[in-house]
Amino acid sequence: MSMGPENALNALNALNALNALNALNALGSSNALGAPGGESPLLGEALITNRDGIAGARIPDIPAPAPGLADSPQNLPRLSTSVRAAIFQAELGQSVDLSVEINDGLPTATLWRKTAERDRKSRTVTFAPMVEMTGPTTEQLVTQLRLVGSYARLRADRGAEVLSQIGVPTAFFGSIGFLDPARTPHTIELLYTALGFALPVIQRTKFAMAVKRPIEFSPQVQPMIATPTHGSLPSGHATEVFLMARVLWKLLRESGAPQYADHDNAYWGEMLMRQAARIATNRTVAGVHFPIDSVAGAALGLTLADHVHAMCRGGGWSSACLKAPKFNADDDFDWHQLYAAKGDKLQPEAGTGDHVYATFETHEAGGDAPPSPALNWLWQKALDEWRDPQPAAGR
Amino acid sequence: MAQWIPNPLEQAGDIIDHVTFFRLSRAGADTEPAPDTIWWSVLVELEEISIDTLAARISDFAQDLVIPAAYDAEDRARSLPRQPVTLFARSALVAHLNDRSQDLGIASVLLGAETPARFLDRDAAPRDLPGIEVADDVVVQAVVDDGIALAHDLFRRGATATRIHYAHIFEAEPVPGGHTSLGRGLERAEIDRILAECTFGGMLDEDLFYSRTGQLDPAREVFSTVALRRSHGTHIMALAAGAPMAEEDAKHPILCAALPSRIVGDTTGLDMVPLLYLAFHILVRQARRFRRQDGTPAPVIFNFSYGNNGGPHDGTGIFATLFDHYFGPDAPRATAQEQRAWLTLPAGNANLEQLHGVVPEGASGPVTLDLCLLPDDRTASHVQVWMPSCPKDAQPDFARITVHTPAGQCGTIDTQPGAHAELVGAENRRIAWLAYQYVGGHTRRGLVTLSINPTADLTDDTALAPAGQWRLEIERHPGLSDDPIHVWIRRDETLPGQMPGGRQAFFDNPDYVRFDRFGAPLPVDPPDSDCPVRRSGTLSGFSCGAEPVVVAAYVAQEAVLSDYSAAGPLNPTPGGPQPPRDGPDLAARGDDSFVRRGVLSAGSRSGSWVRLAGTSVAAPQVARIARGDIARATGSARDWARALAQADGLPLKDDPGPTRVGAGAVRSAPGEA
Repeated sequence: MSMGPENALNALNALNALNALNALNALGSSNALGAPGGESPLLGEALITNRDGIAGARIPDIPAPAPGLADSPQNLPRLSTSVRAAIFQAELGQSVDLSVEINDGLPTATLWRKTAERDRKSRTVTFAPMVEMTGPTTEQLVTQLRLVGSYARLRADRGAEVLSQIGVPTAFFGSIGFLDPARTPHTIELLYTALGFALPVIQRTKFAMAVKRPIEFSPQVQPMIATPTHGSLPSGHATEVFLMARVLWKLLRESGAPQYADHDNAYWGEMLMRQAARIATNRTVAGVHFPIDSVAGAALGLTLADHVHAMCRGGGWSSACLKAPKFNADDDFDWHQLYAAKGDKLQPEAGTGDHVYATFETHEAGGDAPPSPALNWLWQKALDEWRDPQPAAGR
Repeated sequence: MAQWIPNPLEQAGDIIDHVTFFRLSRAGADTEPAPDTIWWSVLVELEEISIDTLAARISDFAQDLVIPAAYDAEDRARSLPRQPVTLFARSALVAHLNDRSQDLGIASVLLGAETPARFLDRDAAPRDLPGIEVADDVVVQAVVDDGIALAHDLFRRGATATRIHYAHIFEAEPVPGGHTSLGRGLERAEIDRILAECTFGGMLDEDLFYSRTGQLDPAREVFSTVALRRSHGTHIMALAAGAPMAEEDAKHPILCAALPSRIVGDTTGLDMVPLLYLAFHILVRQARRFRRQDGTPAPVIFNFSYGNNGGPHDGTGIFATLFDHYFGPDAPRATAQEQRAWLTLPAGNANLEQLHGVVPEGASGPVTLDLCLLPDDRTASHVQVWMPSCPKDAQPDFARITVHTPAGQCGTIDTQPGAHAELVGAENRRIAWLAYQYVGGHTRRGLVTLSINPTADLTDDTALAPAGQWRLEIERHPGLSDDPIHVWIRRDETLPGQMPGGRQAFFDNPDYVRFDRFGAPLPVDPPDSDCPVRRSGTLSGFSCGAEPVVVAAYVAQEAVLSDYSAAGPLNPTPGGPQPPRDGPDLAARGDDSFVRRGVLSAGSRSGSWVRLAGTSVAAPQVARIARGDIARATGSARDWARALAQADGLPLKDDPGPTRVGAGAVRSAPGEA
């Protein structure tokens, strides 16, 4: 995924990152109980001789097992996380499509939300625009380069953060919400599911935008980490961290736990967004992104969060229209213009006057977009990790 | 091949300040703006004339002059025997002001920092400041520093309510229609409004806050250390005046001024004094607004945690007399005498930096100071050689001063009016400037300045000075004075969070003993050493006045004075029986222990804590203690400080002596905020 180190192994890292419980990989090693793995010749030999030693003559009258439960989420707990990841991606991946238009040299990418009326084997497919994004002008980027130069002064201060956030910054969100592989395995799985869905969307959009990196605008940028080879806008980090932050915030809000309630204030939500913004900004500090990349990434990630939620839970979804040329290139990234954590709301409009650069709309759920049962299972499992345990009946 | 040229400039005797002359000549050498378009802050000392009179005399330069709006009509009309005034002027005007033959009524000129025009509001107009009625137990706290995180919770009374009554942000671009010629002035209501605007879901977005106050604007390359985890001004102001937000602290309103970070690559050296003067002037006016029920002004305690190596070190320096100018017996406004005002200053941290040399009377033969000029020094280096005092009309030739370059070329001047020499390189471009000038007023001393170009620059059109060992030879002419000649190297280093540039030159004499027999740094000069490089006399040039409380630093756990803490004694005051002080007045905690350097105080964001060491952090702790006592203290601030140290002092090991510790070490508990 885009957060992986940018080298020849990046694609493998991306696959690896999808696996929430890293040790369990479909092609990876056996688990602690020595489940058949196949990569150990010794174990293979041992199992062969072992069978010869104890299996005995064929048993004639073993009862047949019950048939498998077809297409049922009840099977999901018995699947490895990487198998589940593939199933979840099959659900999410087919829910979008992307088209590109180029006008006056500026590309506009449209991410379509695909829904279908399903009637046994027939489908009536509908595409609705979910994210429409127009790339920035070169002049804007030249202006934005000044901000990149200014942010370089923070490198000594933030070096540890920048380096620690090259990969998926689970630890940073885990220091706000209580994330732990033992305590919240399904939440982590859900977050990685969302990231796994976002990655191709991000890379396809970047490919369409083809925005050059700061390093190509000046020899003085000298980023403190390697510049990724993919395009600059939208920022993959910004997309991913705002997606993570908002999905987490939705879980916390739905949990009903009193501290996460979103009545007067939204402390957890604000803090999660603040964390996302810091990580996004750190990529500018590092010298690999313009602030406008973060604007586009945050808009995309926040919108995708609603889509992921709708796929998991049903309900409404959002659409965004980002016109980067309208963004005032002297401005910095300010996520508050896009979203309010209190109430979990996208702002209808971002920017002012001639510089309204983003609009958001929310849409009611249609009958053609029921939640995916598999994804719904994952959401519920994740949500249960945030709900307070209830006292047993009669106690 | 470089060579020294003696007395190349016919009018050199008309130059009031040779460092100003040198820096102006270097300005624009390797920066983009043309030299004549550069704006400078400059401190001029007016002699028997008013600001209005000066403005009339230089009316031909009206386009090159900004008189800060902080000077109101009364300030501008006032004429005094001497009054320092901060102006903003373009290079041509500064050169004009620095020319004695123009007879403008200017006694001294001190060039400050380059000031980009976009930070200046030439249309800003003075305004009246209405009084603020406060309770009788209110003590105002005023802090001048850089990088002050105004929104820190230790400076707030509530989520969107500040304790800061006025903040002057020199590092911000002014807003149109404002009343600030440089930077932006924020009243309390304005700060509260921005706090409210930047609070979302019950939480303050501090990054956004500082972009709204103008302290941070990456698109306009406006930078403040409040963007970093640690900022000097935040740390200092929290030590002086921080209080938990939950405690309604109306008793200690805060005034502050944040000086600019090094936003421009000023390779000529940098002098903060003009802006310090302006900041003080602004805060003094603000402080006068606070009136108790009976109409008398509330007491005020100022803290400046800044130091400077230069100056005559006899109590007459232009910064040393700042406090006197505003609150001394001859201060211009009646309220100045009514208002009880104290100032705390750090002793300085130069004790071990090898920046001070002494040539005593009776030295046999020339005294040599090896001046180590470091490579990759992107800013100019400046050395001051102060003569014994003498009247202006009878300036003895105290010494013959020779400067050797690392390659062996030597230039020599006598300490006589007009004497100067220039080191030039290829195409006759100036590399160094050595000159004598007389500093009048109360100082009444001859001063030789050696100004040397940077040793490195990224552009290829600068005449670089050679790095390596330069040599100053000072040969005293006997029988002219019993007082020593003092030599100080000016500060020239990159401070944390600032743009890299300067590298500090130092004296590197072979007989300077750095360590004791156990290998530990020696904090005092060995008694049996003849080495002219001295730890004594390193007290900050700012801290040599008679009025301020000067604070040294100690290490709390080991109960020793911090090795870096600068020391007296001072030069004798010309015409006076003795110098105004022997050294600092007292010491406060500068370090928790040898391994826990510094003390904890506020980081740049609410709720964060960071360490900072030095006499800079000791001074505001004394300011904090003082606020409880100033109203009822009967003597001077220094009497109070000395009594404080003696009453419940922390006994320090090794008996540091009065020139290092003053009356003793005060128990202070940093972090109590």
